[in-house]
Amino acid sequence: MATLSSDLIWEVVKQQGSSSLVKRTQAGGVSFSRDPLNLRNSFQRKYEGLVDDRAIGVQPGEEGGIVLLTKKNGKGHQPASHIQQSAIGSSRGTRKTYTAIVNSTANRNYRTDLRKDAVARASAIRKSQKPVKESKPAKVRGAKARAAAASA
Amino acid sequence: MSRPTVTIISGSGEASKDTASIPNVFKSPIRPDIVHSVHTGMNKNKRQPYAVSEKAGHQTSAESWGTGRAVARIPRVSGGGTHRAGQAAFGNMCRSGRMFAPTKVWRKWHQKINLNQKRFATASALAASSSAALLLARGHNIATVPEVPLVISSTAFADAAIAKTSAALALLKAVGAGADLEKVKKSRKVRAGKGKLRGRRYTQRRGPLVIYNPDEDGKELVGAFRNLPGVETSSVYSLNLLQLAPGGHLGRFIVWTSSAFSALDKVYGSTTEPSALKKDFLLPSALMKQPDLSKIINSSDVQKVLRPVRGGAISKRTNVQKKNPLRNLQVQLRLNPYAAAYSKNKEGQKSLNAGKPERVGESFTEQLHEN
Repeated sequence: MATLSSDLIWEVVKQQGSSSLVKRTQAGGVSFSRDPLNLRNSFQRKYEGLVDDRAIGVQPGEEGGIVLLTKKNGKGHQPASHIQQSAIGSSRGTRKTYTAIVNSTANRNYRTDLRKDAVARASAIRKSQKPVKESKPAKVRGAKARAAAASA
Repeated sequence: MSRPTVTIISGSGEASKDTASIPNVFKSPIRPDIVHSVHTGMNKNKRQPYAVSEKAGHQTSAESWGTGRAVARIPRVSGGGTHRAGQAAFGNMCRSGRMFAPTKVWRKWHQKINLNQKRFATASALAASSSAALLLARGHNIATVPEVPLVISSTAFADAAIAKTSAALALLKAVGAGADLEKVKKSRKVRAGKGKLRGRRYTQRRGPLVIYNPDEDGKELVGAFRNLPGVETSSVYSLNLLQLAPGGHLGRFIVWTSSAFSALDKVYGSTTEPSALKKDFLLPSALMKQPDLSKIINSSDVQKVLRPVRGGAISKRTNVQKKNPLRNLQVQLRLNPYAAAYSKNKEGQKSLNAGKPERVGESFTEQLHEN
């Protein structure tokens, strides 16, 4: 039927692989995921949002900020309208961003287990959007410093 | 497990008011193991025999030199005058020797697969094609598809309306399959390996599979879809597992015409009614009626036989700082439930306010000294 159990889907996906699965041999073989609804980019039952009926995704927004993705209830068979997007702009402070995420997900009993991961991902995204601070020019020392002092 | 209908999408991509009931075949069990093994067998059935020449490596009159000449006893090419003379021959370890176990044209090229297994696998692959998650896992780009399974009204195909590739492309784009076509187009790469030289130069992903009913939709659409990369067409009466589950992986994106969709019940019957077109075939029924693990765990049948949770809602905390119950009232109350009443009634101050204790009565001392 159209809405299969997510346990069954996971058993199938685990066996035959998924388009979101990225395997590498580093560190004794790692399984990552490209799924936008995967908060840790880790190919695990808990985090693989493609499989689950309820999932949270946090993606960088096009103009800064983040986009919060959740799955709408009972729309599993309608891919075009399945995912709810809500943008939280960069003008909103980080703490308010986290509150907004938690208030619209975990506090509404929606994937309470992912509360920390959702906030952590939002935090990492917001941090990455900050301008890179330029490092100070290196102080000249020793003979070069003396030469510089003499010429000045 | 209760969504008995699917919306029929019009040729322009809007959802119509018509719905089609979901055929029974979509309720068949999803069995990746069976699909995989049947696919492996079926995939072998189009092979053509090949083998190395019977004579390869044996077209020389080499003979062993025997022992005593301090060389290996492998057959050696006789004669002189060329470099070839004296070189080892025949063995698989020799230069220009025969290969190990030369391939033969009478290898077992084809596999017989039990018909019932093939039908089971087809039914399973069709059922899997109704899950958006499995389609996404297979790699189909279905983010713009309004509904899965995607059923297009047969009126869009009536009177050979889709006879040109441009019309077919416009139709697929209108129903949200454009992204999947784009993905196929971009995926075209030159194949790695020798296949390049053997007529298999390019590899590309698979796009949607259009399933039609030749009786009602006509066959003109086959020519229309033929030149779209990745798109395949199939008659609903002759579905092929190699198309329904390419690579043995479940979840092909299928575009149904409404007449093909409604013909499925005729083709496959149900778990109790035999199929009209297949001899001796009943659809497989699922062993587990409820495959949702959390639903089973949370069902009242399971919950009522479980023992109650020990300790209730309070969970034991580890590694917490010890609080002084004399200073911390909450901790004191936990240890001494009487403390609340004690402080409320001001039991601690009572003796102070009561003044001097009353003298005991006369009779008390008398009785005390009596004996």
